[in-house]
Amino acid sequence: MSAMAKMSEEQALVERFRRGDDSAFDRIVERHSAELAAVANRLLGWPGDVDDVVQDVFVAAFTSLRTFRGQCSLRTWLFTIVINKCRSRRFRRRLRLVRVKDLEAVAGLDHGGDKAAIDEEQSARVRRAVQILPQKYREVVVLRYLQGLEIAEICELLGMRVNGVQVRLNRARKRLKESLDNLLEEKS
Amino acid sequence: MNEEQIRKLLQEADATARRPVFGPIAAGKIRQRVHRRRAVRSGALAAAAVIVVASAVLWAICMQRQKPRPEQQRIVSLETQVKQLQAQTNATLKLVQEVLDRDRQDRHLASLEAELSSIPEPLIEIERQVDKTAFLLVYQADKLYAELNQTDSAVEAYKEVIQLFPKNRWADVARERLSQIEKRQINQSDKQGETRCRPGTA
Repeated sequence: MSAMAKMSEEQALVERFRRGDDSAFDRIVERHSAELAAVANRLLGWPGDVDDVVQDVFVAAFTSLRTFRGQCSLRTWLFTIVINKCRSRRFRRRLRLVRVKDLEAVAGLDHGGDKAAIDEEQSARVRRAVQILPQKYREVVVLRYLQGLEIAEICELLGMRVNGVQVRLNRARKRLKESLDNLLEEKS
Repeated sequence: MNEEQIRKLLQEADATARRPVFGPIAAGKIRQRVHRRRAVRSGALAAAAVIVVASAVLWAICMQRQKPRPEQQRIVSLETQVKQLQAQTNATLKLVQEVLDRDRQDRHLASLEAELSSIPEPLIEIERQVDKTAFLLVYQADKLYAELNQTDSAVEAYKEVIQLFPKNRWADVARERLSQIEKRQINQSDKQGETRCRPGTA
């Protein structure tokens, strides 16, 4: 399905919802919930359980979908809500707990063991490096490298200019590089 | 480490991370949550409004119980002044009314006195009427005697005047008339006796 057709279909769903068709909202939930859950999971540091966040996102969407003007795609609009919800959640404490768990997990690994265990340890380090990034850098990294969004889309989502997004990406990369240098050396 | 390496590392890490776990999301459940949230919000707003109104009422009552404001003091003093002026006006009106009543009474009294003064003295009036009656009787008797030659009736009338009004001046006149009549009758009888005695006249 082309992007234009998808947008017009989404617009039609929104119109149906505005007219009071409840099945339209069901369709929107069905179509976007998995992707929104993945974004929330990544933005929040892979906690796994993102049920509350996704529900909050759809509650907010249900409340304000009638005011959606269609200036961007419904997906982008929902992504904006996810980002805002993740920002507003007091997740730092949970992140810290996750970090401690990860560290413990890493410490408990047998470094002389099999390759799968070594890979898991490396992945945990990478995720930890992303988690300890400041929120503004973590957002651009997740959206660009994990969610695969274009720079223009990220600009639209975060309400920023292209230069601003690129600067943030550069700085985020620099920090990740600093954190993961040892890992790269080990890999190489 | 270039951008592509970082991307690769991140994607590998993401692939091995925990998958997002979320339950089936039903639109009905979302609607319920929205309605519940709206109800809670409106309830909280109503409670807040009630608290604000109650606080305002309490504050107003406290302020009223405390000292009155300058405007209120001014109003109270003006009301007092108005009441005083009303009392003064009422007193003045009452005084004016009393003076008018007194004046009316005086005028009424003066008119009564004037009326009373116009009424003649009863005794004098009676005396005048008595005098008039006595005069009339004497006048009629004179007429009977002089014009109608009814001497007996005239004598009767003169005697009646003397009997009825003995102290009146017309009683004196009646007495004088009676004496004149007697004298005249005596003279006449004398003259008649002389003529009888004369032989030639018989």
